[in-house]
Order: sequence, then C-alpha cells, then structure tokens
Amino acid sequence: MIEVLIVLIVASLATSILGVFLVLRNQAMTTDAISHTILLGIVLAFFITQDIRSPLLIIGAALVGVLTVYLIQLINQTDLIKNDASIGIVFTALFALAVILISRYADHVHLDIDVVIAGEVLFAPLNRIEVFGFSIPRALWQLGILLIVNVAFVALFYKELKVSSFDPKFAYVIGFSTTLIYYMLMTLVSITAVAAFDAVGAILVINFFVAPVLTAYLIVKRLDHMIYLTALFAVLNSTLGYLIGYNLDLSMSGATASVAFIIFTIVFLFKPDGYIVLKIKKRRQRKEFMHAMILMLMNEDEHETVTPGEISRHFSLTEPETKKQLETLEVEGYVTRADDRYRLTVRGEEFTHYSRIKYGLKAH
Amino acid sequence: MELLSSYTFLIVAIGTTILSFAAGVIGTVSVIKGQSLIGDAIGHATFPGVILAFMLIGVTDTLPLTIGAIIFGVIAFFFIQLITNHSKVTLDGALALILSSFFGFGMALKSYVQGNPGFSNTQGIDDYIFGQAAYMLRLDVWLIIIASVASLLLFLIFYQQIRIYTFDPVYSSTIGINPALVNVLVLSMTILLIAVGLKAVGAILIVNLLIAPGVIGLLWSNRFNIVLLIAGLSGAVSAFIGTYISTAYAGFATGPSIILVMSIIVFISMMFGRRGIITRKFNLRGDAT
Repeated sequence: MIEVLIVLIVASLATSILGVFLVLRNQAMTTDAISHTILLGIVLAFFITQDIRSPLLIIGAALVGVLTVYLIQLINQTDLIKNDASIGIVFTALFALAVILISRYADHVHLDIDVVIAGEVLFAPLNRIEVFGFSIPRALWQLGILLIVNVAFVALFYKELKVSSFDPKFAYVIGFSTTLIYYMLMTLVSITAVAAFDAVGAILVINFFVAPVLTAYLIVKRLDHMIYLTALFAVLNSTLGYLIGYNLDLSMSGATASVAFIIFTIVFLFKPDGYIVLKIKKRRQRKEFMHAMILMLMNEDEHETVTPGEISRHFSLTEPETKKQLETLEVEGYVTRADDRYRLTVRGEEFTHYSRIKYGLKAH
Repeated sequence: MELLSSYTFLIVAIGTTILSFAAGVIGTVSVIKGQSLIGDAIGHATFPGVILAFMLIGVTDTLPLTIGAIIFGVIAFFFIQLITNHSKVTLDGALALILSSFFGFGMALKSYVQGNPGFSNTQGIDDYIFGQAAYMLRLDVWLIIIASVASLLLFLIFYQQIRIYTFDPVYSSTIGINPALVNVLVLSMTILLIAVGLKAVGAILIVNLLIAPGVIGLLWSNRFNIVLLIAGLSGAVSAFIGTYISTAYAGFATGPSIILVMSIIVFISMMFGRRGIITRKFNLRGDAT
C-alpha cells in the first residue's frame, strides 16, 4: 500500500511544480481543458495501435494536449472570441468527439471513461515494470522521470519562466521568445497530465496542478518561497488524502482533492491577513472609532453630560448598541454615570486629547 | 421521418431544445462579461450535491437530486465570490480549484456509496456526469420547461437592468441598479439551468450550452437583442439536430452530439460571420481596389 502513497506524492510534486507557473500566468483553466481533451488523444492513438497499454497512447494524448493549447491560442489570435469562451468551446468540442468515438467504435474494449475521469490510484501498483532489476509500478517510473524532467526544466529556465510570467513585455524586449517558453511549459504540462491522470484521474490532475500552488500563493510573495511551499502542501495534501481514503475506504483521488480544498480554506480564513483576521480587525477598529467619537462629543461644552438617548440620536445607533458602548467606556473608566447622565472622567479627557492627535483634529 | 413522431424522441428533443434556447440566451451575458467558465466550475461542482441528495433520499429521483445540485451550485458560486473578492487569487485559479475540489469530493462520496451495501440502485448516478438523455422522463422535461420558462421570464422582466449591467456596470450603479444583485440574478438562472440540464447533457459538457450559442450570436451581430436571439435559436437548432442524430444512429450520445453540431456552427460562424476570418479577407480585398 505504501507504493500508492508514493505514487500520489510523486504525481503531486511533478504536477504542482509546473502548476506554479500556470497559476501565475492565469492558465489554470487551460489545464482543465487539457485534462479533458487528452481523452481524445488516447482514443485516437488506440485506434492506431489497438493496444490499450501502448506507450503511443501517452504520446497521442500529449500531442492532443498541445493541440488544445494551440487551438485556444489560435482562436484568441483571431480576436473574435474572448479567452475564457474559447477554452470552453475547444475542450467541450474535443471531449464530445472523444466520447462519441469511444461509444461508437471502441465500446467493446476496456476504455472506461469513468475510470479516466475519476481515476483509481489503488490500481497503480498492479501494473508493474522492471527497472534495473527492481519491480516498480509503471506509474511511479513514468511520474518519477517526469518529476526529474520538470524540476530540471524549472531550474534551467527559472529566469525565463519568472520574467515571462511577471513581465512578458520585458521578456520580449530583452530578446527571448515567451511563446517558446509557453509552449515548452504547456508541452510538459500535457505530458505530465497524461502520465498523472493514468494514475489518479483527470479531475484530480487539475487539483494537483492548482490546489497546492494556490494555497502557497495565499501566504508568500516570493517566487522561490512559493515553489518550496507548494511542494510542502503537495506532500501534505496527498499524505492526508491517502490516509483518509485508506481508512474510510474512499476514492483516493476524491479524498485528496477534498483535503486540498479544506487546507486551502483553512489557510484562506486563518492566515495572518486572512479573511477572519481581517474581519475581526475591522470590527475592532469600528468599535474603537465609535468610542473616540462618543468621548469627543462629550468633550464639547454643550454636551458635558449626556443621556444614552442623546447619543443614540446623535450617531444614529440603536439603543442596545449605545448601551454596550457606554458600558464598556464606564468599565474602562473613561466616563462616570450619575442617574441617567454620563460625564467624562479625567482619564476620558486625556483620551480625547490623544484621539484628536490620532485622527488629525484641532486641539480642543 | 417516422422517428420525428416517436414518443422517446419527442420527449428528449423538447427537453434539450428548450433547455438549449434558455441556456443560450442567459449564457450570453457571461460570455460578454468574460466569466463564461464559471458555468464550467458550477457544472462540475453540482456533482457532490447530486450524490449527497441520493444518500439522504436513497432513490435516484430527479427532483431531490436536482435540488441537491442547485444547493451545491450555490455553495460553489459563494466560494468563488469569497475567494476572488478577499484574496489575490484570480477568477481563473479559483475556478480551477473549486471545479476540481468539488468534483473530487463528489468522487469520494460516490466511492463511499458504491462500496456500501446500504445503498442500492446506484447506476443512475453516473448519468449526471455524462448525461443520459435517452433515459429522460416526462418529469425531467417538465422540470426543464419550468426552469427555462422561469429563467427567460426573469430575463425579460429585468432585461434593461441586465443589458446595462452587461455593458456598463459603473453606469448601472449610478442609475440605481446594483451590479452585484444583477450578477447574482444571472448566476442563479445559470445554476438553475445547469441543475435541470445535468441529466440531459451531463456535468462536464453542460458549459458548452452556455458558451457556444453566445459566441455564435456575437460573431454575427453586435446588437444585444439580436445576439440573444441568434444565441437562443442556434442553441435550439443544435439541440434538435443533435438529438435527432443521437436517436437515429447508434453510439451517438445526445449531449456530445448536440455539442458537435454546436461546434460546427461555431466554426462556420468564425469563418463567415460578420467579422469572420473569410469575411474579413474579402472586405480587405474590396478596400484595396
């Protein structure tokens, strides 16, 4: 079983390192398109070879993956259709063609679309090959090689990838082809997607490409940090997904994708400048501001003593809100109460002095 | 010709044609706004809703499964809005994340259901991924008709607001139209149409019905009402022809057939449309002489 986990981890590392540049270039949905259209490549290559285990299938699939990218680019260049619409049109057309070809001409063979889409990494260790006398799963061998190739690609073309992701115009000026880098990247994406989806299914491939990257993207700003953190999240997601899938007897691919989303959401909500923290900060700021406003009002001569009613009218607050504000102010010793009227304490007067400076108001 | 009056064909054809007309009209707004792939993400994201509804009810009845799909479509839309509004993640990244995560969650649930002897009759579930129009029942068609007519009526009622929001959201807020509200309205209609259309076309390909007609319309005209009309009609025509092909010939699934017909029309429009590639070439020659 440990082989399944290793396949998952290697697959997630091999995909997510390319995913970094896909996310930075806003090409995540292009990966979605590729992961669907490679089915057409597999079908077409199968018609030629008539062998479901032929390595030609991978080549065919990768070619159709690149063809997909090319078609999308071609349509974009005509300026007739927006980028997102051309992605949606191209991949649905090619996928529909593949589904019809399978159901019409290849229904008798084992080319189960469901397995292609869902994938089942559990079966990966069943299909083995001999490498240097060791028997290892074929998927691990393929993905391992691709991991090395992808890491080497990113290491070799790091500067080019960085510049063409962040500043394509500058890349053009200093004289290297962003198109060439783009197609090299997308070719590797297609090949990796094919190899990975054989093991984990088309949908999880998309998740592998983007989920760890986006989680890392939330936290860090520097590209090199983002790559390391992406690798960390890739390993974390696959390990947790494996454990949950194994223990609850669920689809590993599905479990890993769900875990990836939960981890993204946790980081999104609770990181230092995340959603929840910002909400809390905003609330605290509003409360502090209200305090200062109330105290400053009471610092004016004509409002030396005020009733809660006057305050709620003045700031159009509700009764309970006013009550809560005044209670806090009283507990903190800024105001004192006599009957139903509040007046500033010395401490409160000092506070208004500093508030005026803080908000840049004239001294009283 | 006999086929045209057969009951099964009529049921399926009525359903797909009406669905594609409504989807074409409403999808056009998203195509113009450059957010057409939201439909793709929501289409995939409805899948866990279908499975969860099945787990709760225990049968593959259309109505509860459709409601489950709608609920998860709304949740997915909510997450997409939350992520894009409150972090530096772009729409592109958020869509890919939501699409794959929700669909993966659905896969995990499906494996649980199928590995659990407590659930029987799970075959119907796969129909919602790839669509199985041949098994559409009267009720399915009624749902499609109700959802399509309701969406189109809403679209007509709020036509002016939607038109202004589509082309000039800044102006729309100065004259008192809340763009966020119109956005929610358009996407609610989209989610509704996706949910009722799942059984006909499937979660993966349904986005095509929302994008392709709008694209065709935009290739032939630049007036909003004409674009909408062309979109609706081309969707309906493709659906009818596609359904006919799938009923007449073995091995042509309905959803994919409709989409292939639609793709052919898109291709023709790209060549010969108002700004089409071949049309432009001719115009250039005409100018030169």
